[in-house]
Amino acid sequence: MPAPLLRRRSLLAAALLSTPARADEMPRTTVAFANATDDPGTRLEGTGFTGAEVRNGFALAARRMPLDLVFYDNMLDRAKALANAREAIARRVDAYILFGWDAAVSAEIGRLLGEAAIPVLAVGQSVPGTPLYAADNEAAGRIAGEALARYSAANWAGRTVMPVILGPPAQRTRLDERIAGIAAGLQPVPVTPVRLDSGGDPLKADAALRGFLAGHSGQKVLVAALDDASALAAKAAADATGRTGDVVIVGQGCDRTMHGNASERKELDPANRGSIVLGSVAFFLDRYGYDVLPLALAMAMRQPVPPVTRTQHKLITPANAFVVYPPIDIN
Amino acid sequence: MRNVLIAGLVCLGVMAGTGAYAQSDCSKIVPASPFGPDDQTGATNRVTPAVVKAAAAEIQEGKVISLTHPLVDGVPLFGTRFTKTVLTATTLAPGGALGKNGATFMEDTWLSQSHVGTHLDGLGHFGRFDCYYNQNAMGKYINQNYMTRLGLDHLKSFATRGVLIDLVRVYQAANKLKTNAACRKPCLDKGTVISQADLEAGLKLYNVTLREGDIVVLHTGWVDLFNQFPAQNALYNSGEPGIGMEAAKWLISQKVVLVAADTWAVEVIPGEEPDVIFPVHQALLTDNGIHIIENAKTDEIAQEAQASGRATFFVNMTVPKAVGVTGNFIAIEAIR
Repeated sequence: MPAPLLRRRSLLAAALLSTPARADEMPRTTVAFANATDDPGTRLEGTGFTGAEVRNGFALAARRMPLDLVFYDNMLDRAKALANAREAIARRVDAYILFGWDAAVSAEIGRLLGEAAIPVLAVGQSVPGTPLYAADNEAAGRIAGEALARYSAANWAGRTVMPVILGPPAQRTRLDERIAGIAAGLQPVPVTPVRLDSGGDPLKADAALRGFLAGHSGQKVLVAALDDASALAAKAAADATGRTGDVVIVGQGCDRTMHGNASERKELDPANRGSIVLGSVAFFLDRYGYDVLPLALAMAMRQPVPPVTRTQHKLITPANAFVVYPPIDIN
Repeated sequence: MRNVLIAGLVCLGVMAGTGAYAQSDCSKIVPASPFGPDDQTGATNRVTPAVVKAAAAEIQEGKVISLTHPLVDGVPLFGTRFTKTVLTATTLAPGGALGKNGATFMEDTWLSQSHVGTHLDGLGHFGRFDCYYNQNAMGKYINQNYMTRLGLDHLKSFATRGVLIDLVRVYQAANKLKTNAACRKPCLDKGTVISQADLEAGLKLYNVTLREGDIVVLHTGWVDLFNQFPAQNALYNSGEPGIGMEAAKWLISQKVVLVAADTWAVEVIPGEEPDVIFPVHQALLTDNGIHIIENAKTDEIAQEAQASGRATFFVNMTVPKAVGVTGNFIAIEAIR
């Protein structure tokens, strides 16, 4: 049984911000956010979201909160991460948010800040003795698997259906959890999913699925992609092989390639309801700040927070893409 | 044409997906107008003869300052919007002149969406589901070409007092201005939430208090990116500083007629909540009949106000009586 979970950002945020005083009249608190990396070219958590998007989400979320947010870029560098933590200690921040990527350095940073009596909120990767905010990869995978199974039951009953799990190698625990969730969600489909490893290269994902389709002519294929890049590669493979009538796909992450603005190239759009990409499971890394900052603020104010808070994942489809990610260029 | 078709398909898709023509019970979704159940005019009802007369006192020097950008190829256009003119000049061709007097003429065909350049948002521009201003279930009041309610033809005069609020000066005075590097003159950066306190500070700078029937003009400095068209169009459209919901509610409480800004949406983009879009539009237009002017050219009036120490003016603006139209590009002048 996992630790108690808090699944709605609004509860804590509302509790903190519903006081009669206006936000700009409340005492200011300094919260540090140490990002794994701010690099706009580095993707995080096995999704298409970049470190820059995570940082921007924190900046946006901080605008109406009674706190001063100090940013640190750990640059996926152990020494830099430790130096940043020491700088935050010297600055006497009221709380420290650590987006971890290295267990050993995260533990060391947790120890240093603990000695300085600065509360730490771990993001993505747990730090001993501190609360954690993280994606729920098992739940996200299950959402995708269930969506594919539902589609199969509704549209391909009585046909031979082959489920495929396509994407990067699952060397990291979180992708293992994602895969386990997908397999659990696909339980109603009688065939065990086939794992196609792309090596993290969308071109290889494309080639791998083409090969699979060639070996399964006349069969229907459910593709659970481990990320959006693999989902789009799968679509390209189905297009190129003339098998769009035999393939449906669900991605993971739901980055801008899936939900961009009305005038951007994207996959999920109310005007694109016939796509074989049924949807993508949202990880909301671009909105982490809205979930995490209320927790950090509570910790800075020495209020209790749940030991584990998970992202509330959701399947984004053409039917709800504009609701969850409303495009600003509405015309 | 392709863009028009695509936009149309998108609209149809959205409508089909959300049940936009469901004809909701709008009495539960949008408040009733304070101007009566049949009102289609909105806040310009507040421009009474007394308001116009009081505003006329702002004309002291006869100086006219434009708040209007030129509408020309290359200015920032939002999303899939476009504007194009086609000149008809056949009588200038050899042998084309008319009569012994050699009369010639030229006319234009103007292919454009209405919400381009410096433009006014009418009451039919924004709603909540299919419910628009004064609880109108607009699914019943549209046809293929125009609206049969809430068009610009129902508006009254905007001959009232204008009040400039210079947010750049407010933020400079508070030592909190974080300008965008692409602005040649100081500007608030995109995503900056303008609060009620900011508006009040801006009024205090010029010792002004708002009164019922005023038009409020916000200068954020973002106009400098528009002025650089087309070089900064992508940045200009990528977001903007603007009022948040708190400031919008306060302006509503002041019973203003219109809120203008030197940005493409008046309200802060990205918005305060990531999955809520254009809530200030809904608060002003849908719920309160308060008009919006986007892409106002505010730099000259801001400069004039700072030089003279006076931030108020008489508003000269005429909106075409375009029947059933949701908005239109306009020309607005400050007369002092």
